[in-house]
Amino acid sequence: MAKFYLNIVHRPEMVPEYIQKEAELGKKEDLTRGSVLQESLDIFRIQQQLAHENGLRTTIQMTYASLFNSEALAIAKNDHELYGDEIGLTFLGIQCKEFREKFHSKELAIWLFSMEDKRKIVEEVYGKFQEVFGFIPTSTGSYYMDAELVNYIKEKYPVVKAAIATCWEEGPKAYRNANNSWYTLLDGGPWNPWIPSKRNIHCIASNKEDDIGIVAIPHLSRDLMAVFDGPGSYYGTHPQNILRGMVYENGEIPYFKNIVDQYRSMHKYNRGYAYNMMFVGPGWMSKSGRWEADYALLLKSYKEGMAYYGELKKNGDLEDLTMSEFADVYRQDHSYNRPECTLWKDILYGSKRQMFWFADPWMRFCLDMNQGGAMVDLRPYAAKLLRPCGVGTSANQDASYPFLVQSLYRSGFFTHYAGEGAVKSCKISYGSEQVDLCTCRTKASFSEEGNTRIVTLDPVSIEFSNLTVSLQTIFRLDEGTGQIEITRKIIDSTDPGAEFLLDEYITGCYGTTEYPEDLSGVQLCLNSEKHNDSIFYEYKCRENEIREVQRVRAIVPQVDALIEMIPDG
Amino acid sequence: MAQGRKGKLNYRCPRCLMREIDMDMLYDKDLDEYYCLRCSFTGNEAKVKRLNAQFREKYRDRQNRITEF
Repeated sequence: MAKFYLNIVHRPEMVPEYIQKEAELGKKEDLTRGSVLQESLDIFRIQQQLAHENGLRTTIQMTYASLFNSEALAIAKNDHELYGDEIGLTFLGIQCKEFREKFHSKELAIWLFSMEDKRKIVEEVYGKFQEVFGFIPTSTGSYYMDAELVNYIKEKYPVVKAAIATCWEEGPKAYRNANNSWYTLLDGGPWNPWIPSKRNIHCIASNKEDDIGIVAIPHLSRDLMAVFDGPGSYYGTHPQNILRGMVYENGEIPYFKNIVDQYRSMHKYNRGYAYNMMFVGPGWMSKSGRWEADYALLLKSYKEGMAYYGELKKNGDLEDLTMSEFADVYRQDHSYNRPECTLWKDILYGSKRQMFWFADPWMRFCLDMNQGGAMVDLRPYAAKLLRPCGVGTSANQDASYPFLVQSLYRSGFFTHYAGEGAVKSCKISYGSEQVDLCTCRTKASFSEEGNTRIVTLDPVSIEFSNLTVSLQTIFRLDEGTGQIEITRKIIDSTDPGAEFLLDEYITGCYGTTEYPEDLSGVQLCLNSEKHNDSIFYEYKCRENEIREVQRVRAIVPQVDALIEMIPDG
Repeated sequence: MAQGRKGKLNYRCPRCLMREIDMDMLYDKDLDEYYCLRCSFTGNEAKVKRLNAQFREKYRDRQNRITEF
């Protein structure tokens, strides 16, 4: 039977940035302003009330600031006793008078501190939590929790078992969307919960030795097509984010339910398991409205979201768990090698486009059916790249996991200027004519054979000047191998005797942003039974070829990655 | 000219929004217009609303409840 799990997370963020900015318009900063603290608590209380009215339990993630507020503590304790809500601890909302006095910093983001400061902050906030509640919280989170931070938390507090660890695909797009002011440069992680590697939080752990010791949860369940191209903070299970993206008309927001239902449908690809997460900070329900939405609409959107989850629960279609409960259920149900798959369909633009997402301990990738199943994103998780972030590291603010292919950042098929952009596709040639499958829109279906996931694309019709050929692509993904088997089948031709040439290609690169990186030192290799040859990248536009090739290989030392292609048949 | 302040709602610049940049505008009460510090957009509330409606048009399914997956 299909299982759809829900985590609802609320936090008493005593000084939400947006409400604070509103309150201090024309005034000097004051982190203890009573009106802000009260409004924030009122919103937290309303959020909790709406969840409970709909029969839903929550995880209350206490902020550091809220640990000094007796009213916030009382609400949390009461709701834990009365409704069974979990009391956890978040690294969001650290800023308050006490934090400023202790750490002399205005930084909001835990992942951007130096490692030395991260350790001190962990000890301070966990210590304070234990002082006021008398126990160690087992769930935690932030918008991003780097592996080094989580490893330290696990070392000090082994009971921690769950963390909100990334915001899916918040990277350069989210940064630009916020007028280059929001430092969630976190592209490249899984879109649904996972067990992270000790080496890099984005990567799925390979085995027990690599297991960081928590179940990671992405902040929100996001639209896997709209957010690949657009801002993360417009399209997800966050009603006010949807208002921010203006995906509504006359106050009606069917898109929220459409996202929830598409996530519910993911059980078809994941052995009966599906997941959703909602986590709205109080700043999004400000009494003075948020951008174009007034308070009435902000509240309505939240009420309707909770009501829908409540309705699903009443119908037996949803199980609400706290974060720590979910971590236990997830570990019981998931092996390390089991991939997360999703054939996502457009629910926003009316295009009928599909994208297939896959993530396992070896890689995360995306196939775009609008481009004949071309791979438009590829992250080499097998590298388990050590990439600490924060002050004193070379990555500093850029906490994304590098790609080998990212067709939007690095142009993909058909670049505006000369040259080919990053994409994995196939070209079919007949005589002097050539067609790239990127130009052949299609649809896909998903199936399984034992531990093999299969993505079967509908055949595409390719017209050459004097014949038409029908070609079908099938992707087979054998669990636990790190391999993708791609079959290109010519299933019909108006000239049965015609011969075609298939050029299975990848135009790779590496990076975390739109800007090019230095490819010097990348090695391209050709192997046959008799010959081995290789080229070190030196920007000299050299080519090489070999007959009866057994494998082609690219080694990208900058991201510790090796990718190879083996022809067969 | 009057000091720019927040309007009754915190409108974002519709021109910047078209390129998916959230840029808050300021309101000039003397001229009854909003203006953008980034792209030089100016316009009254009616103009902002008209352009916001245009922005929404790309979401062809924004009013549709989709249940088949």
